Amino acid sequence: MILKMSRVRMIGPRDRLDETLSVLQDFGRVQLDRMPLAGGLQPVARNASGDRLRRALTRLREDADVAITLLHVPVTAVTAHPATRGEVARWARDARRLRRKAERLETRRKELDDERAVLGRYEDFLDAFSVLLAQLADAQHLRVYGVTVPAAERARVDKLADALRAELGVEVIVTTRTLPSNDVAVLIAVPAEARERMERAFGAARIAEVPLPAGYVEESLTQAAPRMLARLHDIPRLLDAVAHERADAATRAGDDLQLMRAAAADMLGAADATELSSVTAHAFAIEGWLPSGDVHALRERVSRSLGTGVVIEELAHEEWHGADAPVVLSNPRLFRPFEMVTSLLPLPAYGSMDPTPFVAVGFPMLFGIILGDVGYGAVLGGIALLLLWRAGPTSIWRRIAGIALPCATFSVIFGFLFGELFGTLGRQWGMRPILFDREHAIIPAIVAAVGIGVAHTALGLVLGMVSSRHEPRIAISRAVQLGMMILIILALLSAVHVLPSNLFGPFAITVLVGFPVLLFLEGIVAPIEFFSTLSSVLSYVRIMALGTASVLLASVANEMSGLFGSVIVGVLFGLLFHLVNFAMGLFSPTIHALRLHYVEFFKHFYSPGGRPYEPFRHRDGSAAATSRGSS
Amino acid sequence: MTILWVPLSAALVMGVAAIATAWAQSRIGAAGAAALAEKPEVSTTVVIMIAIPETVAILGFVVAIMILLRGGA
Repeated sequence: MILKMSRVRMIGPRDRLDETLSVLQDFGRVQLDRMPLAGGLQPVARNASGDRLRRALTRLREDADVAITLLHVPVTAVTAHPATRGEVARWARDARRLRRKAERLETRRKELDDERAVLGRYEDFLDAFSVLLAQLADAQHLRVYGVTVPAAERARVDKLADALRAELGVEVIVTTRTLPSNDVAVLIAVPAEARERMERAFGAARIAEVPLPAGYVEESLTQAAPRMLARLHDIPRLLDAVAHERADAATRAGDDLQLMRAAAADMLGAADATELSSVTAHAFAIEGWLPSGDVHALRERVSRSLGTGVVIEELAHEEWHGADAPVVLSNPRLFRPFEMVTSLLPLPAYGSMDPTPFVAVGFPMLFGIILGDVGYGAVLGGIALLLLWRAGPTSIWRRIAGIALPCATFSVIFGFLFGELFGTLGRQWGMRPILFDREHAIIPAIVAAVGIGVAHTALGLVLGMVSSRHEPRIAISRAVQLGMMILIILALLSAVHVLPSNLFGPFAITVLVGFPVLLFLEGIVAPIEFFSTLSSVLSYVRIMALGTASVLLASVANEMSGLFGSVIVGVLFGLLFHLVNFAMGLFSPTIHALRLHYVEFFKHFYSPGGRPYEPFRHRDGSAAATSRGSS
Repeated sequence: MTILWVPLSAALVMGVAAIATAWAQSRIGAAGAAALAEKPEVSTTVVIMIAIPETVAILGFVVAIMILLRGGA
């Protein structure tokens, strides 16, 4: 649900503005807002000194943030205290120095990583010929070439070797080795004076010499090879030294950096809050939002900390617009993980309806109906319990587990109703469908899916009526749409003799009468909207289609064990197929249950456009300091 | 003759619906990937957009099943 908000105004002596803001920052639940200027109120004037301080704080926060990130400082909770200008200047110097150091270490690490990656490409080649290259190092009259070719093209090397021997005589040394990648490495040593003929021979054979990396190109292969190998063995030690220096800096300066960042963020927040305040020559006034339930606590806090000098007044609802109020979502603990599902959409507008409770019930139910298998549901439940056990209290995995567990529960429940355990495997142990067999009873499955669509759409229309209760025209048109949809269903039931067939006429005539009413209420878009609602209902038939596809795939997996000559191979293939079906069974119902909510259900009542709730409070100063309103 | 035409019709319906969905999803997927590169916050919209044409394949599946059931194959 969306919490009821109050707008409060605080008035006090001007010289107590900073003190009041400090109390509000400690309280941490008031979102300050600019107030209309009247009765001689003026915004707090900015001055050059304040602007300089703000720029210094912004730079300090950025430097500290970069240093914390690059030094991998573990994030801990810090309590910042307001700093003097002298402290800010000292911190700014320290943060800048630490940022430069962190950036230097990061640049060094990247350079070493890149160098290791480049030299690593030569490692196999150099290792393969290390002994020979060492022997040839003293042979000044020879020039050594290195070549690698794919294994399939080995014949080209043999051809080149034959041509060279024929032309240059016995002094040509051609040695080949097979590398771990299966490529063929070739080392060719020829008399130094035969260099030009050698390069022509390479061109004729369309073979390119291995180019040496930057920093080694001026040397011969025999000179570069030992240096490259030594460097390759040296780089891990240098990387360790960088990591050690970084860890040392993080240990020594990590707490200070976090304190600086938090203090800078707090002081910048206070500066922003000051700008939102209004003053006269002798008084200040501040307005802000907070959940109505917190107004009493605010009064007590202000009274305790500031005495009677600062007055709090709760503004009447007529004095503010709902569209300006920030939105705070507050749901029961079981529903709270589903705020993650609704958070993918913009915040609902203040005064509208929070869809989270409906998603918390509807999403797992639709998921369970689509998956509908005791076995898959149990596996999903096991994974969810494992996540709950292992994940930290604020981890995203805990929230995912909070969604997965109800989905698994509904899958098991509907699995029993459909008589499915890993598809039709449960039938061997006497499991029978209670509702219907999804593998064969296609028509009942379609009727059930459309029935769910009617119920879900009807709920959406009812919620639409409630949420637009202040706009009677829209509320009535939703009611007429709902009535017409029900009448169409009743007419269809009469047509197929589920209801007395003589009721078909009255139902059909009432539907026809409803159209002009809709046209009057909504104009020319009314029929389009109504048919869109009907198509939404039909869209729920996907529940049946995905469910049937899932059970058919599971049946195929079960039948696999008999298709192969060996039982073991068949079972392994069957398990693999079940694994694939399970993965699809998680992905597909999630996407389609989401779609049914976002597209088909929400369109009847969901009004986006809420302002996020960002109270004035102490922050750690990191980039992720602001968040979607939630309590 | 029915034995031939009924499954053939069902296969045609399912096949055409699947091809239509695949074509639509390929276009939406390409456009969605481009949009995501510039605005990662539209990921939800892109996922929903990609799921929308699947309705065609699903309805094709339902119609194919209807043909098989009603056609007596």
